[in-house]
Amino acid sequence: MLWVALLLKPNPNDSPPTDALCGLATWCLQFGPHVAIVESAVVMEVEQSARLFGGKRKLLERVRDESPDLGVDALSWAPTSLAALALARARIRSGFGKPLETLLDALPLASISAVQAHAPTLERMGCLTLGQVRAIPRGGISRRFDADLLYAMDRAYGVRPEAHAWVAPTDSFQGRLELMARVEYAPAILFGARRLLLQLCGWLAARRAGVTAFTLKWCHDVLRSKTAGDGGELTVRTAEATRNLEHLVRLLAEHLAKVQLLAPVGDLELIADEVHPLQEKSMALLPDPKASGESLALVLERIAARLGPECVLRPVLQEDHRLEWQTHWQPAAAPQPRKMVLPHGMPQPSFVLPEPLRLAVKVNRPLYQGPLMLLSGPHRVEGGWWDRVTDASGTTTRIVIRDYWVALSGHAGVLWIFQTRLADDDTAWWLHGIFA
Amino acid sequence: MGLDVASHIWRATEFGSPVSTTISSGWEALNKQLPGAGWPCQSLTEILSPQPSVCEWRLIGHALRQVVSNGSQVIVIAPPKHPHLPGLAHEGLDQRHLVWIQPKGPAERLWVTEQMIRSNSAGAVVAWLPQARQEQIRRLQFSAQGCDGLVFLFRPESAQDEASAAPLRLLATFGVDWELRVQVFKRKGPICEGVLVLPSVPGGLSCVLTPRIRRPSLMIVTQENSYVVGSVAPQAQPERLATH
Repeated sequence: MLWVALLLKPNPNDSPPTDALCGLATWCLQFGPHVAIVESAVVMEVEQSARLFGGKRKLLERVRDESPDLGVDALSWAPTSLAALALARARIRSGFGKPLETLLDALPLASISAVQAHAPTLERMGCLTLGQVRAIPRGGISRRFDADLLYAMDRAYGVRPEAHAWVAPTDSFQGRLELMARVEYAPAILFGARRLLLQLCGWLAARRAGVTAFTLKWCHDVLRSKTAGDGGELTVRTAEATRNLEHLVRLLAEHLAKVQLLAPVGDLELIADEVHPLQEKSMALLPDPKASGESLALVLERIAARLGPECVLRPVLQEDHRLEWQTHWQPAAAPQPRKMVLPHGMPQPSFVLPEPLRLAVKVNRPLYQGPLMLLSGPHRVEGGWWDRVTDASGTTTRIVIRDYWVALSGHAGVLWIFQTRLADDDTAWWLHGIFA
Repeated sequence: MGLDVASHIWRATEFGSPVSTTISSGWEALNKQLPGAGWPCQSLTEILSPQPSVCEWRLIGHALRQVVSNGSQVIVIAPPKHPHLPGLAHEGLDQRHLVWIQPKGPAERLWVTEQMIRSNSAGAVVAWLPQARQEQIRRLQFSAQGCDGLVFLFRPESAQDEASAAPLRLLATFGVDWELRVQVFKRKGPICEGVLVLPSVPGGLSCVLTPRIRRPSLMIVTQENSYVVGSVAPQAQPERLATH
């Protein structure tokens, strides 16, 4: 048996708050189902999950590295849960270095709560360590003290079996956190939110699921202006179900950077809105080449969170001959249409100008960085009578009648220009694209 | 034994051994001048040109076609004009494999480029960075060492005089007779002198080219002559009137 005991940092006000303890227990559930709350500490049995996490050493290193973020102060492992807890209280990391009896015998009475309850009597008898209590004949102890003392000692030393009420993962995730100090700037919430996200990721791992949307709510401090309201909330969505902590934290950071708090914030709450089962990564011997690095969708999502979704675009081809409406650019996260339009294979420029640029004309020849030479054309594009748009100025028809030419400039390369009729018999030349 | 020693001698006239995989540029003449016979992955490739949006896609189109056929994505960051998919389709791109990111301002451009390179999730990153400084390029090159895809940075010609951490730097201009003129002025290997002239017809135009317009340079000469004759006369007249 490999028991791990996690002790929270002592709270200056009172005993460890139950929110933090439940959150810690939820986070622990990712390492195995045997998690219990014992005397305001969390104990878990992880021997059975050791192989899944790459061996005992790696598993314990991971618990050791990640748990301080959740406010864990002391951490120990031992063959029994009470022994692990006793060692954690005495700040001894490992209960496997020496025989368990040797380690436990040297600990003070306060290490086990059931013994601590009789500490005044035992100290007057001259017992200062657990070893000295154990040296007293059992018959005498059972007659003078209650049954709990011997029972707890036996469980700690591994003489009697232990029984625990296991913590079960809840159906929905709701984590609460009281911040250490009032926070006035939104990005500073991230420190507390990270702790909640860590719990969320542990809960998701226990349920073999990923999250696609979560909501962070914050409550304003009691001393606030009347206009500020009770608090605010922020819902963050992601395209792929994930339980990657770093991605969720970065995404939340990008969103929080745009939030302005109306009043100082005291409490945080995190709720998982949409949870989906997640396919596990294969533990195959040969690594999957695709799996290295961050997935493209996640990066684009992060970039879109900072720049705005209208800045990260994917094209959708349209069946239209007018250059402006041939490609529709939509946000990268939006779903692509099922039916793909194939390009028609006609010569087309690779860059287009957002608006056609009117060209100067000299001796009936268009100019753009010098005179242009018309190479090939005309390519007549005529259509759009069906395309009516209504805006403030009234209804307009986006009809185009243009003769496109391939033109050559000595400096600006191969251009795609067109000639169109104006109101009277005049014509004008416009630059529309570049064969770059 | 003698053979073994000879194979380990590196002469300064030879290329250094390529440290990364490469993707063919599509031109035999250019491949010969590039270390590893192609555009390098895991490193920056800097392409300078006197004017943006003149010959970019023609130069890297062949490599992008291979990237797309491998099923990887092409990320275009801050192009000087709007990319046009029907034209890019001639270079092998399609709508499932193209993402256009349009950041506002030089700082965001660099941030997006660095994020894309670091994530190592794209087959090719094509970025226009007209205002990047030396130390910023060095930072990108450092990140690019962990990126398995191609990274092309397009910069103005004025950057030629600045030092740059990119291991491969080219100057690309366009030639009138359907050609690209490329000068490889920095590479891992001996100095490359001279200008490479690479034939290139963009955007599916090859099917509409007649033999006459395959050599526009010949037409320009004749047109310029007639232009001179036609334009002098109207300017000269008012002067003559004034002297009277």
